[in-house]
Amino acid sequence: MRYGIYLVPAAIVLTLGSLACKPPKTAEEIKAETQAAFNEGVQAFKDGKARTANPFLNDKDNPHKMQGWNDGWDKAAADKAAADKAAAEKAVVVDQAAADAKAAAARKAAEEAARKAAEAERAAVFRAAADKALANIHFDYDKAEIKESDRAILQSIADFMKAYPTARVEIAGNCDERGTNEYNLALGNKRAAAALAYLKTLGVDEARFSTISYGKEKPLCTEANEACWNQNRRDEFRLR
Amino acid sequence: MPQFIHRILLCALVAPGLWAQQTEVVLSATSSAKLVLAMTSPKTSGLDGAAVAAEFTAVLKRDLDESGVIAMLQERLPADGAPTKAWKEAGAQWLLHTRFTKAAKGDLEMEASALDTAAEKGVFNRTYIDKRSGPLRYFAHYLADDLVGRLTGEKGVASSRIVFVRQVSNGVKELFQVDRDGAGAMQLTRHGSLSLSPAVSADGRLAYVTYKGGPPEIWGQRKKDGPHERLYPTSGAGGMLSSPTWSPDGKRLAFVQGDRRGNSDIMVLDLAASRAKRLTDGNGINTEPSWNPNGNQLAFTSDREGGPQVFLMQDDGSNLRRLTSEGLYNASPAWSPNGAMVAYVSRFEGKFDLFIYKLGEGKAYQITTGVSTSESPAWSPDERHLVFTSNRFGSSQLFTTDLSGRQIVRLSELGGCQSPRWIRGR
Repeated sequence: MRYGIYLVPAAIVLTLGSLACKPPKTAEEIKAETQAAFNEGVQAFKDGKARTANPFLNDKDNPHKMQGWNDGWDKAAADKAAADKAAAEKAVVVDQAAADAKAAAARKAAEEAARKAAEAERAAVFRAAADKALANIHFDYDKAEIKESDRAILQSIADFMKAYPTARVEIAGNCDERGTNEYNLALGNKRAAAALAYLKTLGVDEARFSTISYGKEKPLCTEANEACWNQNRRDEFRLR
Repeated sequence: MPQFIHRILLCALVAPGLWAQQTEVVLSATSSAKLVLAMTSPKTSGLDGAAVAAEFTAVLKRDLDESGVIAMLQERLPADGAPTKAWKEAGAQWLLHTRFTKAAKGDLEMEASALDTAAEKGVFNRTYIDKRSGPLRYFAHYLADDLVGRLTGEKGVASSRIVFVRQVSNGVKELFQVDRDGAGAMQLTRHGSLSLSPAVSADGRLAYVTYKGGPPEIWGQRKKDGPHERLYPTSGAGGMLSSPTWSPDGKRLAFVQGDRRGNSDIMVLDLAASRAKRLTDGNGINTEPSWNPNGNQLAFTSDREGGPQVFLMQDDGSNLRRLTSEGLYNASPAWSPNGAMVAYVSRFEGKFDLFIYKLGEGKAYQITTGVSTSESPAWSPDERHLVFTSNRFGSSQLFTTDLSGRQIVRLSELGGCQSPRWIRGR
């Protein structure tokens, strides 16, 4: 037992020595550990854990780990906040674009409707003007001369053609039943031509008129009396 | 004038040789004298004899009546087996026998022979076979035409047809045809528009004007039984078009084209070359061209001297001369098939009557008279009749008349008819 007295201090010395001799962590190790803790912090945030769940809070020896973990958690939280904000901003932008497009479409539709309404109105006015101006003119038996009394009608037709420069009109010559079918086709042609020539003298481009003859093939009235024949000896004017 | 026309007809009956004796009989008779034909009851095998007798005999009788040259003996007929002499004594100059046989394949065969009762010699013998086993009417028509041909040298027209325009609804007119006896009416076009001015060539090809595309166009058949196609204009619109008329050789088409100054001119279209030539001079209305049978002259209507009158010219537009002199409105010239006459209409007191101008005499003869109008004359192919339209029973219907104007017959009860043309059926 002579040497036992030394065992205790030796053990103390060895212990302390071993403690004192534990080599300090290198910078690389600390950096790696910090990075690992950072990654854990990121993952913890993603997993929905609280910041207070930092497992290194009580690890006094490794404050870098605690700091790393917190930094990871904070970074992840900041990233998410930024992403959320960007998404929110983007959503706002998209909504705005949709709203803008809708408004533009509505505007366009309104404009189109207004345009169509205006067009329909113009067309109605045009038709009304045409209906008013394009009256039949009449002829004496076997004649193709324009009657004095029909000149006002032809003047109205000329005025209409000038007011509506795109209007095109067909002049259809017709005859009464007293005459041969073929001669009346030629006479109807002569009557259509007479109106065409007169309208030309009133200053309307003759290219805007076409002529056709129906002879006695399309009577308005089929009785055999002068009133009826007079109705049938006519030029009709029709929009083309 | 009717007397005169009959003399002409009677002269046509004068055939040399065989019928010398008969001719004397005809000439010495009154103007209504015709060759008298009697007919024994048709013999039949494989058919209902009574039905044949009724239908065939009735149609043949009517055909011969309308021919104007043969009459069928109706009264005091001897028994079928009686000797020829008995028929002669009954008044028959020719005695007709017919025999109908229904062949195994369904073909109908008719054997017809005629005997001159004076000479007791056969004058006619022919067998007819109808592959379609067609109606007996057509056998009667063919036989009537051949009997008339045997007698006069020119085939009759019982088997001919009339092509015409008829209104089917308001603003819609189509081409139709009907047999010379008013049967067999048939619609030829279905354009659903105005179709007017029909013309038929000697070989049966149609030409007409249709408004189916809006402006009028000339349509027709380039080939016999061919499809209806546009003949003029070949492209675009051609202005006012009317009155297509085939030249006698069927190679050219005269027609009328109107311009935008109100003139209408006679044109001639060469179908093979597709070239149209203007014959008249753009001076007012020129219309209703009608060829002479040689195809080297045309009659037409023109208002160049005021109202419408009938003029003649060469087919190149030269040698223009006025034909009609009396009346203020003469139109619708139709040159006769043999070239000696021009039928036309003349207006008097608000209605038209038919006239015939005899070119040899330089004189016009009135055919119809009356309170109703008679229009659109067209010659029968044998030049013995005219077909025309008249409103004498209200609506415009088809009628025929002989050249005396005494034998006016309503051809069909169809109303709304215009522009008839008469053509041979076979």
